[in-house]
Formats: sequence, structure tokens, C-alpha cells
Amino acid sequence: MKKKTLALILLSLFTVFALVACGNDDEGTDSNDSGESTNNGDSGETADSGEDKTIDFMHLWPEGSSPQHFAIVNDIIDEFESENEGVTVEVEILGNEQYKEKLKVLSASNELPDVGMTWAAGFLTPYVDGNKFASLDDLLEGDLNDLFVPGTAEAYALDGTTYGLPLELNITPLYYNQKLFSDNGVDTPETYEELKSGIQTLVDNGVTPVTLGNKDRWTGSMWYMYLADRIAGPDALPNAISGEGSFTDPGLIQAAEEIQELVDMGAFVNGYNGLGNDEAKGYFLNEAAAMYLMGSWDLPEYTTNENNSQEFKDSIDYMKFPEVEGGKGNRDSLVGGPGVGLFVSEDSDVKDEAKEFVSFFVQKWGERSVTDAGVIPATKVDTSETDLPEMYIDVLNDLNEASNLTLYADVQLSAAAAEVHLNQIQALFGGEVTPQEFAEAHDEAIAKENEE
Amino acid sequence: MSNGIKETNTPMNRIGFGLLYLVLGLVALFQIYPLVWLFIFSLKQNSEIFGRSPFALPEDPQWGNYAKAWTDGNISQFFFNSVWITVISVILTVLLASFVTFAITRMHWKLSSLVLGMFMVGIMIPIHSTLIPLFDFFNRLNVIDNPLSIILSYVAFNLPLTIMILLGFYYTLPREVEEAAVMDGCSVHRIFFQITLPMTTPVISTTVIINMIYNWNEFVFVNTFISSDTWKTLTVGIQNFVGQYLTDWGAIGATLMISIIPVLIAYFILSNRIVEGIAAGSVKG
Amino acid sequence: MNKVMSNKVVIALYVLPALLLIGVLMFVPIILSGYYGLMDWDGIGAMKFIGLENYAELMGDGKFWDSAYHSFLLALFSTISLIAYLAISLILANKLKGSELLRKIYLIPMLLSSVAIAQLWLKVYDPNNGILNSLLTTLGVDNPPAWLADTDTVLFSIFIAIIWQYAGFYIIIYSAALKGIPESLVEAARIDGANPIQIAYKIKIPLIMGVIKVTVVLAIVGSLKYFDLIYVMTGGGPNGASEVMASYMYRQAFGTYNFGYGSAVGFALLVICLILTWLIRKLTASGDEIQY
Repeated sequence: MKKKTLALILLSLFTVFALVACGNDDEGTDSNDSGESTNNGDSGETADSGEDKTIDFMHLWPEGSSPQHFAIVNDIIDEFESENEGVTVEVEILGNEQYKEKLKVLSASNELPDVGMTWAAGFLTPYVDGNKFASLDDLLEGDLNDLFVPGTAEAYALDGTTYGLPLELNITPLYYNQKLFSDNGVDTPETYEELKSGIQTLVDNGVTPVTLGNKDRWTGSMWYMYLADRIAGPDALPNAISGEGSFTDPGLIQAAEEIQELVDMGAFVNGYNGLGNDEAKGYFLNEAAAMYLMGSWDLPEYTTNENNSQEFKDSIDYMKFPEVEGGKGNRDSLVGGPGVGLFVSEDSDVKDEAKEFVSFFVQKWGERSVTDAGVIPATKVDTSETDLPEMYIDVLNDLNEASNLTLYADVQLSAAAAEVHLNQIQALFGGEVTPQEFAEAHDEAIAKENEE
Repeated sequence: MSNGIKETNTPMNRIGFGLLYLVLGLVALFQIYPLVWLFIFSLKQNSEIFGRSPFALPEDPQWGNYAKAWTDGNISQFFFNSVWITVISVILTVLLASFVTFAITRMHWKLSSLVLGMFMVGIMIPIHSTLIPLFDFFNRLNVIDNPLSIILSYVAFNLPLTIMILLGFYYTLPREVEEAAVMDGCSVHRIFFQITLPMTTPVISTTVIINMIYNWNEFVFVNTFISSDTWKTLTVGIQNFVGQYLTDWGAIGATLMISIIPVLIAYFILSNRIVEGIAAGSVKG
Repeated sequence: MNKVMSNKVVIALYVLPALLLIGVLMFVPIILSGYYGLMDWDGIGAMKFIGLENYAELMGDGKFWDSAYHSFLLALFSTISLIAYLAISLILANKLKGSELLRKIYLIPMLLSSVAIAQLWLKVYDPNNGILNSLLTTLGVDNPPAWLADTDTVLFSIFIAIIWQYAGFYIIIYSAALKGIPESLVEAARIDGANPIQIAYKIKIPLIMGVIKVTVVLAIVGSLKYFDLIYVMTGGGPNGASEVMASYMYRQAFGTYNFGYGSAVGFALLVICLILTWLIRKLTASGDEIQY
């Protein structure tokens, strides 16, 4: 009898919570077409009164690690709030990994912030498919018309509609240490063959030629991407990624073979597959490695960062990845593309204000980011009026002259295929797969994605 | 058992003792080194932290890392939150766990093994599987961005482990005192609060220490359920120095140092309580 | 006496609050997670019911079973290392000079958060100027392994770090248990002429058997769902060589938008834990709790 009561109490409690928790699912499917699912809590008041509106904004530039970014964001918000009376912007800031995790949890519960940050292509697609991000075409046709560098906003477009507006534009230069080069009698290479012989000289002299933090995997992917571009031309890799072409293309196979040849030569720092990018960069900053292939977001390290000695900064230069003899690619074809961008939540109950904020943000960010934070924005920059370090001018010029810009492979690919790609990169560098196996694993993963 | 060897103080024994101490000392060195290392680490710049020998002392000690952690990281507020959230969660967990363990080991009811089984299953539930449902649940109760959500999660997720640890001790604890108390007509509550709880002080201190460490360092729940700085805790403060492209490792080291000191002090005080508890308990036993 | 100690109201009062908490905050979510496992869901858009497809896929997923194998290895490794912790605790229980201080020092790694521990061990294993390889090179070893970069060494390198992290945890549990043994019992044995090793083996260990069993379960279950250091130190790499079940689940659920499948992995993890614990209990059921 007592046992029964206890069991009953428990059962009823479970049912209550199961109901509370499961109610979500029905609501989730119903609310896809109507934006009314967020009628609980804080949102209710704003919808009716029409007076004070709050825009929730989530970004990933904490004060501790990105003080300049953080400061610009705050300034922009202040400015926006003073120009738009009755609108406040509430900010939540998370570190990079935590940001991605939280965005996931929030979207699963239909609680995305009104404005947040997203990455292009592969990252964005499921959110668009799930109807979570609002179209920003009206902004691009209006206030922001012709503001972006061609090709950048397009990376956030799906079926002709743009869902994100990029804040950063990065390319991937090959940084090198001039002092280590000249100490070892290595000239700045003009071709890939010269690069290889330079690497051999450095190896013979006991200097680590290239530092690479391939624990993070996208780092090694950039080497493969450049070799693929230089050998097989700018179209081969994107075609293989879309499924039109194949990774077994002879040029792409050759690129994978080149990677393994570099590994066999000892081009990469010892233990590269276990080093994170931060650790690998340490070798370069401490002049223990001569070259480092990394995004232009690293430019402040070699120009303005006060923690690095002037002597070191002066000895660092960069080159565009050299051409491979007989290859189909040229030096002006760059790996890179837009970094983070802003999205507006489809379910936001302050969508208009949120869009206005995004538009305002993008413009102000474009004006200030290069000079104040050393970030190259995806909006067009007028270099003539600003006083920038030489290396920035060069990178901006390279961008203008670029014949082609290939978006990072792990960004282009869907998340599941990107996972395969990144693991295969590690395996390729570790000599665990042959170039042929590497290619087949990619084709298989992409075919599987395209089926669905 | 009968032919036991008499203890003698032979030279062999003394060498044995010397070796024993050497081994114990080495292990201690191995275990304490991280604290020293972390301190050195907290005074370095990023460029020194990576790519150079970890033994190297900082070239130019960056005491500024501490100032930076304290101001830029908003640490003082987080610190305060960590303290009170940890204290409340630990008290609740240990108290509730003691109730359950007492009921399971001392009281007689049919479902006790089933309930025990449920708690055992509880230690096997992977936390990341529960995140999305939990968020959804707290969201419905409107306690997202409210410390209640993390306190409740801490208590729930530490209960099974705490009960497991308590259980082993409750089984081995002599029951004579409690049985005598029952004969004397004591109420269950009095037995629990005045006899059992004091007798289990050593294990309570142990579970308090373990719970404290877990809650103090907990990260995933705070990160998921809390969004405003008002309620964030120290471990999330550390994340303030993890950036998209650059991570300020020196400041992270400083934050970690700041966060360890209180636990260290609390731990030393608590572990003395274990000793005292034993002294008191052994008289009764 | 049975009457007092079987008062149903008191039992409910003592047990229900805790049961309610874990029921609501742990069981409902994990059951929901098992339910998500029946869905094709990226965690963002609409769910699609696909029955047991995820679980069927799991059965044939080589990567999952690799990760499960790694988790089993860790469980084995942690369980064996309990012997060392027990030995240390027994030695320290002998009222050695300084044993209190030593015991406190042993717990210090537990106080550090996983971020700090991961950073420390990354420095230990750094292939070029790490603590370990610096030591090996001075000892004259040519080409020491690149621990975390090498698929053959990465798993055990991380295991060592995990064992190190949890040493203090088990030592304080054992120490507190050993302290609970009445001094009179040990004294009686000593008078009978038993040496410390005999006392440990014949009296102390049997007396704390209940605690030992609990720690075995904790070590195994803790290992099977272990996540932290592996995620920070290697992310499961290189190429999956250090992937464990929990990191695989996280990667599926949060990394690749495969939330349905990730939930299935999480649920499978729970089931595997259950089966193993049940086996252990079957195997050790012979000796019941010792009382005196």
C-alpha cells in the first residue's frame, strides 16, 4: 500500500516533467512557420508595449583575449543606443569553443539571441535549413549596397539569399623569418621547388623549417589546399568538394603526395600532429622555426603586438604561397575568405531593430577595425586615409590583386564531411593513409552528404 | 596469522623506511610540482609559454597578468559567485546524500535497493547528453540565467557520487550506538542528527572536499545556463582570456592561481577536520 | 526497534528530495536523450523519427567501437592503479611522520581545473622542449617519441595524466576509510604478533572492502564516461587514436550537427556502463558487507 503510494508519487512527478520537457517538440514543429514560439518571459513585454526594446547580442570577443575588439564593440553599441532611443543591446560574451557549444544548445531550444555571430557556408547551412536565421537581403540591397568586398557576403548565401554579413576577411600568407633564412643561406623562394630546396637546407642545418599545429587540423588543411590549388588549379578542389569533381583528380592526388614528401623531408616541426596552433606559433615567435602558414588574422603579432620584440617583428615577412612548376595554379590565387559574420535570428521579436543594429555594426566596424584592432574587415577599406603598418598595406593589395579566393575547406564542407576531411588531413600528415585512400575517403563522405 | 614476525628495528628495516620515504617524497614532488609550475606559468608572456623550455623562469615576470585577470576578467564578481554557489551546493548535496544513505543503510523498507540502484545509475549518466533537455527544462521554469539552475544541477549531479562514497562508510560503521539509541526511544531524526552525522564526520569532510572541488571547477553548466556576468563563476572567468585567434595564456594562469588558493585553504582546514573527527569517533567506536 | 527504523514517512522525507532531483535533472534528460536517439535531428531544424536506425548504425560504426575500446582500456588502467593508491593509503595510515602532510600534497592535482592540468601535461609531453623529452635527451635517448602526436603512444600518455589527476581522490577516500577502523582491532592483532603487512592484508583490507568495491565501480564508470583531459589535450586525435566514447559523443552531437546520433551514442554509453557495473556486482557478490 505504502509502496504503491510512493510509486504513484514518483510516477506522477516523472510524468509532469516529461510533459514539461516534451511539450517542446510539438511546439518546435508548429512554430517553424510562425515566429511566435518565444512568448515566454522577457519577450512578452516588448512585443506589446512597443516602447523599450532589447536586442540580445552574443559575440566571442572577450575583453581578456581581444581587448581591442571588445572595446570597438562596446563603442558601437553605445553609439547605436544613443542614436536609437528606447533600444538597448544586451551582450553575452563567450570564448570561441563555448560560443559554438552554446549556440547549439540555444538553437535546439529555440532561444537564439536576436543577433549573434556565425561562420560561413558549412556552419551556417543547418541553421538556414532549420529556418533559424533571417534573410539579410534587404540590408544588402539597401544601406549596405556595394559595401562588401565582392565574394565575401556571398559565402553566407544559400540559394541566392544571404543570411550573414561578414566582419572579417582573411587570406593565408606564408610568414617567414628573414633572419633564419639569411643565416642559413636560404633565399626567399620564387617557386615551390626553391621552397623545397630551402627546406632541405634548413633541415640540414638543424633548423626547423616549418612550424605546424596540426592537432587543430585546419592548420594542415591550409597546406594541402595551397598545394591543391597550385598543382591542380583553382577549380579542382572546389569541384571535388561540391561533388562535381573528385579528390582522385590526378592533381589533387599529387598535392597529397607532396604533403607526404614534405613530411618525409622533415619539413614540419617534430610532433606537429600533437601540437595545437598556439603551441606551434610559439616556435615561430621564439625564432625556433623559419616558416608558418597562417591566416592574416595573425598580422598584429608581427606588426603591432607589444609583447613581441621589435627586432623579431622586423625580421618577419610574408610571401604568397609559391607556384609549382608545371602546375595549373598561380601565385595570386589565395586561400582565405570571410571569417565570422553577423546573423539575425528568424524568431527574433525585435527583428527590425536587430537588422538595423547589424547594418549599423557592419558599417562602423568597417571604419574602425583595421586601425583599432588590426582586423581586415570584409567591407571595402580605403587605405589612402589610414596609417597602417606596411604588412597590412601589402596584404590589402594582395587581396585586390587576387585572381581567386578559395574558402577554407573545412568551412566549405558540411560539418560531417569537414570532420572526415580534418581527420584525413591528420592521417595524411601522419603517414597513416596513402594519398589514394585520402582521396577516396573524401569522395565517400561527400557522396554520402549529397545523397541526403 | 599466529606465526607473526615480531617487529624489530634492524638496519634492514631502517633502509626500508628510508626507501619508503624516498618513494613517498618523490610522489609528493610529482604531485606538488604543478602548483609551482602554474605559478611560473602565470608570470609569463604568451611567447615564453610556448616553444620554450617549461623549466625556464619568466624573463620579465608579468605581475600585470594578475592585475589584468582581476580587472579585465571581472574576477572579483565571479569569485564571490563561485564561493556562495559552491557553499550552498556542497551543503545541500552532502546533507541530502547523508539522508539517503542513512535511510538506505539504517532503515528498513522494501524499495531501498531499487532506490540505491537509481543513484548508482546516476553516476553513469554522461553530462553532455543531458545539456539540451536540461536547458529546455530550466528555460520553461524561467530559471535560465539564474543561479538556481546551476545549484540544482550541481546538487543533482553530485548526489550519486556522494552517496556512493558515504555508503561504503555507513556499511563499515558500527551500529551499536544507534541500536542502543533506538532502544532508549530516540526519534529517527535525533539518531540521524545527533549520532550518525557526528560519527560520520571524517567521511563528510571527505565528501565536502570532493564536492567543493567539483563545484568550484565546474564549467559546462555555468557556461550553458548562465548568460549575464552577474551570475558567472570563476571558471567562466578563465574563458574570458580564450579568444577566437589569440588566447592570453599568462592571464589564464593568473586566474587559475587566484582560483586555487581558496580551495587550497579550505582543503587544508577540512582535512584537519577529518583527523579531529576520527579522534572523536574512535572514542565511541 | 523495527518500528522506528521503518517509519515510512521519515523514509520518504529523507529519500524523496534527493530522488526528485536526480529523477528530474538526470533521468528525464537521459531518457529524452535516448528518445532523441530515435530521431534524425541536427539539433536545429525539425526532427524526423527514424526508429532504431541510429542505434543500428552505431552497431556497425567502427569509430564508435574504437572509442569504446579506448574507454575500456582506460577503465582497466584506472582499476589497476587503484592498487597503488590503496598501497599508498595503507602506508600513510601507519602513523608515519609527515603522513598527514603527504596525504594533503597528494590531493593537490585534484584541486586544479582541467584547463590547468591539460596545459601542464601538454608541457610535459611537448616533443621538443617538454619536460619528459628534455629529461630523456639528457639521459642519452635519441629521438624520443612525440608522445601526443604519435598514434601508438598518445592514448597511454593521456592515461598517465588522468591517473595522476585522480590519485588524490582515491587516496583520501581510502585514508578516511582506514581511519574508520577501530584502533582496538589493529592493536589486538599487533599484540598477537602480526606485522604491518599482515595487518593490512588480513584486517584492514577486508574491513574496508565495501569502500574498495565502491571505488572500483567509480573508477570504471568514471573512465567509461571520461571526457575532460582528452578533449583539451588531443581532441581525440591524431586521427581518432585517443577518441573515447564521451568525446565521440560530443563530437557527433555538438561538432557535426548529428545530434540524434550523438544522443544515441550517449545512451549507448549509459547502457554499456550499466552492463559492466552489473557484471562487476555479479562477480564480486560473493562477500557481502563486513560488519562487526
